[in-house]
Amino acid sequence: MNSVTYNIPAHLFDSYQGRKVIVRSDSSDELVIYLSRGNLENVLYAQLTSLKVELDLDPLLSWACALPIDVVVRNPAAEYPLLYHFSKLLDRHPVRISIPVKRGFVKAVRLALALGFSVKLEVGQPDASLIAEMAEVLDLYMRRSEVSQPVEYFHSTFLSFFNHQQSPNLWIVQEEDPEHFRFITNEGAETVSPRFGEIDLRELKLIVGAQQTGSRLSKTECDGCEFLETCGGYFKWPNQEFDCEGIKTLFSRLNLAAEELRNDLASFQELPGGLPA
Amino acid sequence: MMRNHLSVIFLPTNKCNVNCEYCFENKTADRMSLDQLSTVTVKLLDFMDESSISSLTLHWQGGEIMTMPVEWFEQAHERIGALAQARNKRVDHGLQTNMIAYTPRWNRIVKEMFGNSVGTSMDYPNLYRKMFRGGPDDYTRIWKRNIQAAREAGINVGVISVANRETLKVGAESFYSFFVDELGITDFQVNTPFPGGEQNDTKRDLELENEELSRFFRDLTDVWVERGLPEGVKLGPIDQLIAHFSGEPSCLPCIWQSNCADEFISIDARGFVAQCDCWVTSYPDYFFGNIFEHETLSGLLKNSTARQEFVARPAAIVDKDCIECDYLSLCHGGCPVRTYTMRHTLLEKDPYCQLYKSLFRHTETVAARLAGARVDRTDFRKALIHTGKGKSCGSNSQTTAAAGWQTQPLVQLGRRKALS
Repeated sequence: MNSVTYNIPAHLFDSYQGRKVIVRSDSSDELVIYLSRGNLENVLYAQLTSLKVELDLDPLLSWACALPIDVVVRNPAAEYPLLYHFSKLLDRHPVRISIPVKRGFVKAVRLALALGFSVKLEVGQPDASLIAEMAEVLDLYMRRSEVSQPVEYFHSTFLSFFNHQQSPNLWIVQEEDPEHFRFITNEGAETVSPRFGEIDLRELKLIVGAQQTGSRLSKTECDGCEFLETCGGYFKWPNQEFDCEGIKTLFSRLNLAAEELRNDLASFQELPGGLPA
Repeated sequence: MMRNHLSVIFLPTNKCNVNCEYCFENKTADRMSLDQLSTVTVKLLDFMDESSISSLTLHWQGGEIMTMPVEWFEQAHERIGALAQARNKRVDHGLQTNMIAYTPRWNRIVKEMFGNSVGTSMDYPNLYRKMFRGGPDDYTRIWKRNIQAAREAGINVGVISVANRETLKVGAESFYSFFVDELGITDFQVNTPFPGGEQNDTKRDLELENEELSRFFRDLTDVWVERGLPEGVKLGPIDQLIAHFSGEPSCLPCIWQSNCADEFISIDARGFVAQCDCWVTSYPDYFFGNIFEHETLSGLLKNSTARQEFVARPAAIVDKDCIECDYLSLCHGGCPVRTYTMRHTLLEKDPYCQLYKSLFRHTETVAARLAGARVDRTDFRKALIHTGKGKSCGSNSQTTAAAGWQTQPLVQLGRRKALS
């Protein structure tokens, strides 16, 4: 089977049968209607792109299928209380909340984690004030006893630092690697990600490949960066002049935490009897 | 509306046999007939079918449940069982009673229908629980006698106790000793008071200071850790908070759910449906509707504007200051009825917020200490040395984050992979 996963609008579900898909809609009614009449074997998850659902009446709540659901927040600072309406989905579905790194997004992350959701940050290219909010989220992820859910991209990055065998780069974690993901617009046009706008797919593949292998002709901040393997140049898109200093501090903290955990585990293993059960 | 399991606080009678000064229920003489019970059961089962819910727990109380005849329960149990079996649904039953009318005649139905367990209530000291004739001492004497008889008959007795101003004066040690040492109770929980229902002088003086309550609960935690934990005594909500902060399965009370409107409803003897027993007899403005007057329970709930107020409450108040709270995941603004009866609105956080935070903080610290002690007991002394080094992953996060990575591995199987 084709290894590419297509993020498609629900109305195109029938025409993508046989291919791996993420099915999206801003209406839970529409998601349930289209998904109920097709084969779900190749559906990675359903993506609800609006928080504006009718309280308590969401058809996803009574949909017995256990398909994972990704709920997309558009305006996190204002919309985050609406996440309460989705907490019941967790009884029937694995649920992730995708949150754009915009001013005030930390509130949405806090509530999403408090309600037991996994979180994916749609990180983009954050400025200094957003880096400060991301550091706050990193603290929540690493320190708070209530937080046991993954916060991506922190979670995968931590694991890649902790266990170098496991090192998917951010393009894959963020589901934007052109080798593996395509975003199909509502009109049916094929792109990599809404984040890249009109960039030609072939051009992006070339540039991404170069970033990942470090084989670009011109020198960039990525050259010699200790986090290139994990990052893959992800933060240099779409603006290649983006200053990664703030992002690197977050990588450093994750790296340090991974190292400390490795050392702790090693020191336990040196003790008689090994690790506690 | 509900989770995969439906819980109903069920009041087949609104009649009570005692005269407690702080009761939040407005009593009536109404009681449900067996035919009405069948109607309610069928509507609950219909609702479960519509919502793909497979199991139901009926929490039976009143009024006072033991004002109903034992024979009524025997028939009720049979009817509900037959209706549920025909629909392939599971129904469990719980019993909350003041035990004042208990006699050995109840033993068989308690065993068969309620798993040989009863929940009852007593405060220490008892200020407000009274008979119609006689004071708190008479009530306490009869209650003690009856729970003793029930326990001798092999019935498990759990107790809910509401703290009052005298509780705070006698302190945690005496409080604990009364229930555990004097009465032999090994399963009890402490609640905070609120002035629900029709007002009277007692209720006007019921609210307790957060600071004093916090001290009492912290002390009680310490007493329980020293004396109760090693003996297997259950003391809610303290034991459940310790379990929660230890990363173990826990069952926190309804006041700390993300939204109690997702958890249960209550139905009284007249068929009124409301959020819980605290609302269903006393606050007509907050009734969701009457189950006998609506074709379906789902229709009743769907069209209830009162219910929408409960559903919307956590989202409506979270931005005030709950969002900044370290314990948001535990509390979500607390209890609607405590808020309403003390602040006269649903749209504030629970007035006992300060107590909750203090208790969360204390039990979190105790849980970390207990975890350290467990490691110590297995000769992992080095773990204690590591704790408190001030590293980027502190003592708290070492256990927590590691637990997270274990329970939520990045690479999961199949389609879940993309969401992890």
